[in-house]
Amino acid sequence: MAEYDLTKTVIPYCDRHLVFPLLAHLAESDLFPVEQVQTAQYELAKETNMVDYAVSLFEQLHPEEEVPAEFADKREKAVSTNERLQQEAQAVLDVIENPEVAQSLRQDKNQNLQFLRDHYNVTLEQITALYNFGKFQYSYGNYSGAADYLYHFRVLSTDPDLTISAHWGKLACDILTGKWDVALEELNTLRDAIDARTPSMPQFAAASSNADPALSQLHSRTWLLHWSLFVYFNHPQGRTLLLETFLSPTYLNTIQTSCPWVLRYLATAAVLSRKSASGALSSRVRHSIREIVKVIQMEEYQYQDPVTQFLKELYVEFDFEAAQKELGKAETVVANDFFLGEFREDFMDNARYLISEAYCRIHQRIDIGDLSERLNLSRDEGEKWIVNLIRETRMGADAKIDLEKNVIEIHRPPLPIYQSVIEKTRGLAFRTQALGAAMSRTLGAPEAAPTVVEAQ
Amino acid sequence: MSSDEEGPKQAAPAAKPAMSRFLKSAGDSDSSDESSSEEEEMSSDEEQQQARRPGGRFMHGASSDEESDEDQKRVVKSARDKRLDEMEATGKVMDNALKINDWVAISNEFEKLVRMVQRQQNVAEPVPPFYLRTLIDLEKSANAAVVKDKESKKKMNASNARALTAVKQKVKKVAKEFESELKRFQEDPEGFERDFQATFVSEAPAPAKAKKAKKGNDEEEEDEEFTTVGKGGKAIQFTPESIFKNLQVVQEARGKKNTDRAEQIRILEKLLEVAVTPYQQIRVLLALIASRFDYNSSVATHMPAELWLSAQKEVDQLIAIVAKEPAYSIQEITEDYDDLAERSPKTEKDGIVRIRGSVISFVDRLDDEFTKSLQNIDPHGTEYVDRLKDEKGLYCTICRAQALYEKTKQEDPLGRVIMRRLEHIYSKPDPVVLALEATVATNDLKPSVVLSDSQTSSLIHSLCVHLYKSGNSLLRTRAMLCHIYHYALHNDFHTARDMLLMSHLQESIHNADVATQILYNRTVVQLGLSAFRCGLIKEAQATLQDIFATQRVKELLAQGVHQQRYQVLTPEQEKAERQRQLPFHMHINTELLEAAFLVSSMLVEIPLLASIDSEEQKRKAISKPFRRLLDFADRQVFTGPPESTRDHIMQASKALQNGEWEKCRDLIQSIKIWSLMPECAAVKEMLAKRIQEEGLRTYLFTYAPHYRTLSLSLLAKTFSLSLRSVTSLVSKMIWTEELAAALDQSAGVVVFNRVELTRTQQLAQTLADKVNAMVEQNEKSLDQRLGVSNTWNDRGDGGKGDKRGEQTQERNRRGDRTRGARGGARGGRGARFAQGLGSQMAGNTQRNR
Repeated sequence: MAEYDLTKTVIPYCDRHLVFPLLAHLAESDLFPVEQVQTAQYELAKETNMVDYAVSLFEQLHPEEEVPAEFADKREKAVSTNERLQQEAQAVLDVIENPEVAQSLRQDKNQNLQFLRDHYNVTLEQITALYNFGKFQYSYGNYSGAADYLYHFRVLSTDPDLTISAHWGKLACDILTGKWDVALEELNTLRDAIDARTPSMPQFAAASSNADPALSQLHSRTWLLHWSLFVYFNHPQGRTLLLETFLSPTYLNTIQTSCPWVLRYLATAAVLSRKSASGALSSRVRHSIREIVKVIQMEEYQYQDPVTQFLKELYVEFDFEAAQKELGKAETVVANDFFLGEFREDFMDNARYLISEAYCRIHQRIDIGDLSERLNLSRDEGEKWIVNLIRETRMGADAKIDLEKNVIEIHRPPLPIYQSVIEKTRGLAFRTQALGAAMSRTLGAPEAAPTVVEAQ
Repeated sequence: MSSDEEGPKQAAPAAKPAMSRFLKSAGDSDSSDESSSEEEEMSSDEEQQQARRPGGRFMHGASSDEESDEDQKRVVKSARDKRLDEMEATGKVMDNALKINDWVAISNEFEKLVRMVQRQQNVAEPVPPFYLRTLIDLEKSANAAVVKDKESKKKMNASNARALTAVKQKVKKVAKEFESELKRFQEDPEGFERDFQATFVSEAPAPAKAKKAKKGNDEEEEDEEFTTVGKGGKAIQFTPESIFKNLQVVQEARGKKNTDRAEQIRILEKLLEVAVTPYQQIRVLLALIASRFDYNSSVATHMPAELWLSAQKEVDQLIAIVAKEPAYSIQEITEDYDDLAERSPKTEKDGIVRIRGSVISFVDRLDDEFTKSLQNIDPHGTEYVDRLKDEKGLYCTICRAQALYEKTKQEDPLGRVIMRRLEHIYSKPDPVVLALEATVATNDLKPSVVLSDSQTSSLIHSLCVHLYKSGNSLLRTRAMLCHIYHYALHNDFHTARDMLLMSHLQESIHNADVATQILYNRTVVQLGLSAFRCGLIKEAQATLQDIFATQRVKELLAQGVHQQRYQVLTPEQEKAERQRQLPFHMHINTELLEAAFLVSSMLVEIPLLASIDSEEQKRKAISKPFRRLLDFADRQVFTGPPESTRDHIMQASKALQNGEWEKCRDLIQSIKIWSLMPECAAVKEMLAKRIQEEGLRTYLFTYAPHYRTLSLSLLAKTFSLSLRSVTSLVSKMIWTEELAAALDQSAGVVVFNRVELTRTQQLAQTLADKVNAMVEQNEKSLDQRLGVSNTWNDRGDGGKGDKRGEQTQERNRRGDRTRGARGGARGGRGARFAQGLGSQMAGNTQRNR
């Protein structure tokens, strides 16, 4: 199953620290030799300031060898730097934590700066010290502390580049500390910042800086897509939010152009959010599967794995046997994936449901035994499953189980014509109204036309 | 007579045996004894003199020859006097005519006289006093004649009177021209005459030679002798020292009307032989190549092949010299320098000799001339093939130029030359590119990018990447299109499509120049063909549709001039059109293209036709051109056996409609043009499979109303498909609600549950559709006024906007197959593509008109 493992593809788009959990997961699942994974972990830790961790990894890796001396040096240096930076940052922090100051701070950053400079003698350099200290803390693994400092820095700083960088840092911290609500919020602000066409980009992705803004924006988006996986697959409402975000045109384009493998997560999320689809959700989520299938079909030439193949076999080829086979493979893939591992059960459930739904829609009379086999269930289990299915989907009126012949009979009366006409004309009144409103607003303020549309 | 005066004059030195003698003395640098006062005056400003009288140098030299003085004098007299004599003869004729009052003759003679004087002025001789005198006389007598005419009415006939007025006017005009001379002459006729005589004596030798040369040239048999003598005399005549002088002479004559270009080229060739230093060589080569390109003055005709070949060799030589001698550099813009002085790295300030000239323009010209000659040669003859063989050499030259510019790091010409190189290989199949590259590999000057391990695509890629980095946006666009074309040619449809979409070219292509638009069209068409070869029928159909909808495929691909039905092209337009045409070997076979388009249209359109039942729906067609052909074929009373490709496809379509997929397959496969498609066997196989599938779909659509159930295994047997694929196909149709049916698993049959609609119901549905379409139309036009991007990209603009956006998406998803206008931003890649192409075609149409 190692060929479907995406860790290697994903790692280049993650921060060094975010890779640790990925590798830890790999170490647990035995897709790759433990040796290799440990070496990778060590290589990773070596470059950070987490000296102790690196040393322990080294000892694990080479039990009989001596720990290289450079670690001691590094450790000392790290400690001293830490102290120096802390002193620098402390000055600002003292001021900010003063409740009086906190109260007098406003929305306007420039005004705040002026205020701080006038009353407390806080300079720009000192504020930047916050950033440096936060970054340093992050580098040795004190994520919650780093998050604090970066937060304060962001509130005060006016430097757009550093602010964005702090955004990324804060997001990483929140992810690593597992504060999903905060992380989600952070993710959204970061996304807004990126979509606002910022010319800057995270410093650690600087390899392709100096490029034109559109390209750097694409890079930022790609990074954001990967980082958001951490959040979306841990936050309770993450899956629907993931669909919302990833299916928005800009991000869908990003996926198609630079990272088609994210389709796996998109497809899984679509399958997973099937059940909640009955609730009040935007149509984008409700129709997600159809849309995703289209994209999968389009990108098939550059990316495919069992999860996407499952959807393709089911909704493009309608080859239930093949879909069944792919589902079997997909199960292991999902189970082994870092992000998806926890959702294996859910995924299988929903996937089965999708299969049977499609099956029932196409067939008129179905052999129960056959269907159970398609769902990878035993006969009795299958029967139970089907009964549940019929109950859940309110097919009760149409579908009946004939136990004597051991078949399900489904009678689907064709949609009455008047109903289809109603369907077709449903939204018209509303749309016309919206049209009228837009027009009147445009007429009212023709010179401000673009803003009017934005305000809609 | 004077039409060849200038040319022969330069040729003069070599023309006469007598001359060689004097040339020897010129070599002794014998100073002129007989130089007149005027010559001294002029020699102070030698250049000016040169400019005024090409060839003057030798002539002065000649006058210094004492030995043949008398002989010369005689010759001289007749040369100079011949003109004067002629003038005087004309004058006499005029006098006679005047006597008998024949103004028609006077008019003719006067015109002759004016022409002669003008010619004399061209060779910088002063106006002869005789002429002025005649002018004054004529004016007088003309006035007198007019007065006389008025007095004695009806004495003159009509033509005579007309001639008289003409002469009067002409005389007035000419008199104005020579106003100052006339004044001087009238004031002091003798003094003027004296002045004239003085110049006459000093310049006497010049016309002498001119005349002799003329003689030599005029007579055919002497011409040969002239060349042989020339060869003998050359070694002495073209010495390294005199190169620059000769060069200048040639350059001054360049572009003048009467210059004998062939002669110039011959002189330059000889100069090249004697050129010693790199500086001289470069200078002569620059002039020589330029004059070779000058050889054909008219734009329409192409350069003779031999001339082209030698030009190509010389460009090669030039590049070799410049590449070998890094101290010499050819630049388009340099500081002024003395044309006549020898220069070397030592004499220059920074050790680099900069010479005015442009290698890239030579390469460009060479390439253009090559294309032009291919355009003009009949592509079906052997000559074309022979000419095509020269491409190797040309490609080599281009590569050498690229290497040169890489060495000298001149970015702008480097980009241009790489573009030229790319254009030579992007549309060629691998073996040809390999052959071209093989010649480059044997070359001594190699560009940085050469073919490695026979990977043409990596070669093209690296060339393109270089151009992408260059600042020139036109080159970038063209490189991109070539790159896409290459991918499409190599059946990498997905990459090509993605590149085309990401380039966003379809939005801006109508602003491009015509050549780039043509390249764009070619690329799109090639993309469609590649989709077809890959078996992506729908994509192929959508891509090719737009260009076929215009019905001007040939014109849009620059493979033929379109016959306009209602308007006639002006000759200029037609000429421009002809110049745009691609040479034959670059053509995309339009018949093959049409076959691919019609077959894919058939596969898309026939099931659709079968699926619709009401008249209204029938009007909607995906492919109008195909539908038109089909209707036409339907109306035919009698159909014979198929002959053309179209016949084949039309009959195949009919067979498909009737469910006879085997007949359809055989008909399609027997189309001969497929043999031109690479991997034609695989393509045929793919088509057979498609025909089976689409045949099944058509069959189901057509005959479903007549069945209650249909056995799947029977269907599988009829269409020789596997049961599994039949099930899959039927399921797909049920799922998409194309077919009102369900599968019965236990019995293995399809159960149809079709509902017949009443007329009212049908109408209601149509009405609903139309209302929908109208609202959509309104929204679209509103969006256009407000700017589409706002509604599409801004996701987070509140509930209302969001909802609206989603609705639009939903509508798109509902699958309006023909319209892609709004599907652009999401999912509908194909749709956006088609749209871009469509509008581009419109733009193109306007342009081409």
